Amino acid sequence: MMKRAKRALIIGSFNRGRVLASALMKSGYKVTIIYNQLEKCKILSEIEGLTVIHGDESKPYILEDADAYNADLVVALSQKDEDNLIISELCKKKFNVKKTIAVLNDPCKTELFYKMGVDSVVCDVNAITNLIEQQVLYDGIVKNIPTGDGRINISELPILSGYTSVGKKLWEMRLPKEAIIACIIRGEQIIIPRGDSRIEIGDKLIVIATVQDEMAAIKELTGTL
Amino acid sequence: MKSNGSKSKEYVVIVGCGRLGAMIANELSDKSVDVLIIDRDKNAFRKLSPSFGGLSMTGDGADYKVLKEANIEHATSVIMVTNNDNVNILISQMLREKGINGEIIIRLYDPERRAVFDTADVDIISPLLLSFDMIKQKMNEAIK
Repeated sequence: MMKRAKRALIIGSFNRGRVLASALMKSGYKVTIIYNQLEKCKILSEIEGLTVIHGDESKPYILEDADAYNADLVVALSQKDEDNLIISELCKKKFNVKKTIAVLNDPCKTELFYKMGVDSVVCDVNAITNLIEQQVLYDGIVKNIPTGDGRINISELPILSGYTSVGKKLWEMRLPKEAIIACIIRGEQIIIPRGDSRIEIGDKLIVIATVQDEMAAIKELTGTL
Repeated sequence: MKSNGSKSKEYVVIVGCGRLGAMIANELSDKSVDVLIIDRDKNAFRKLSPSFGGLSMTGDGADYKVLKEANIEHATSVIMVTNNDNVNILISQMLREKGINGEIIIRLYDPERRAVFDTADVDIISPLLLSFDMIKQKMNEAIK
């Protein structure tokens, strides 16, 4: 896809930082981690290809040392909401970083973070609760891929007998506004559905929906909740 | 802070009962201004003078529920003097975002962090810059 190596800056977490760094490096990013404990930094520095900076991550000069001016992506993972906010704001406003992602503990502050210019806010508690909710409620879903900063979900839904949607045409279904069936997989066949496509037992539907409407869409398709 | 008898009574909320926070609180209380001071640690309030006549509240100032309980909507001034710059910034931005109109004053040890403010509706006090200015002034006087 991209020829120039993108640069990512991961800030404020050892374990999550390490996992994320490896993942990003695999997908071709050049990764720098800033962390405030020297011992942990030494461990991190053993990872090949990873740049590690030891220091107080919310200090502008440390961010400058980490070459924040040239970062394409900054992920603030620290345990402290205030640190993550200030790191993201500094990166956005002082260093003009294109994309900033911040982890947040207190869900009440989500709006504040977005208003202050953080591009993507990941709320630990919310994310985990949603995940568990999905696991519990929709055993039927085989795969679920969050995208669009976690605001859109793409899920694969196998159609079993007894579902309300079996035998119905798409236009007969009352799907919520912000949900579409992008694709019907029927055996080897891949159907890009139209209003008159019929849903059959054994189909797999690829459903794209906003997080808000996903539940309603699945309920409409399955008839269960 | 303006003292104007005809206006509604001044009400000052201070977040952080460190040495500076306690000093301001004592001073305002002596001048019979309504004052409320918040700190996470209730032991911090020992720094307040025995004659302190304001309110003290134990809680996390970065939690809006706590601030609301402190009647922040009616504060004429809010002063953030915790020992953590980032907390001071977060609270001040949260207050502006929630539409609090009172005067907001924050202390920043690291003046470089002021880059996070788009507008000048928060007063930033930096001990570093103040000391620098004072010393520079003294030096200039000495040279003359």
